[in-house]
Amino acid sequence: MLDTLEYTKVEGENKKHTVTVYALSTCGFCKRALAFLDTHKFEYSYIYMDKIPLETKTEAKKILKEKFKQDVAFPFAVVDDREPLVGFIEADWKRTLEV
Amino acid sequence: MATQKTIEDTRRFAGMVASKQGWTLNPDAEFTGTLIEGLTTNWNRYGYYLCPCRDTEGSREADASVICPCRYAREDVAEYGHCFCALYLRPDFAASGSEIRGIPDRRNSG
Repeated sequence: MLDTLEYTKVEGENKKHTVTVYALSTCGFCKRALAFLDTHKFEYSYIYMDKIPLETKTEAKKILKEKFKQDVAFPFAVVDDREPLVGFIEADWKRTLEV
Repeated sequence: MATQKTIEDTRRFAGMVASKQGWTLNPDAEFTGTLIEGLTTNWNRYGYYLCPCRDTEGSREADASVICPCRYAREDVAEYGHCFCALYLRPDFAASGSEIRGIPDRRNSG
């Protein structure tokens, strides 16, 4: 189901990891997270969960929670389809994304 | 639908909340600007100031605990120096120049 969501893809020269970010368009930390990826020239995909239908969002959150055993808060990044990063703590993102 | 709010309406609202609670608005103008804009968007979408860093669960009743200032703000400001979305800061935290960071969402811990 997550595959059917309409993500926005951002091109970048850093393709070391596959990064997908579930974000809110209204959130300051989400904006910082995306800016962090831009600064480090990551290629990534993101979706603003507040801009999709409620039922779709609820289903997507349920799947993310079950798959990654983490409560969903935003930003919620999935690295290499296995490691979740919940919330934006720059040191954690740097460590996980190796920058 | 409730009357639409402007950015200035929301800025006034946030200033009043901060003043009443003894908090400081985040001095990072760009970050705070995003949150004020987000709150305004949420009011104009839902009819209430849903926290800009939380998503709606579909109704005012379901979102009641995360309408700004959220039910967890007082505890978060006391413990972490800022609320979940980092709009409101503890004055000494703001004065210290400490960095805001993502904090756990108490909404998820029930």
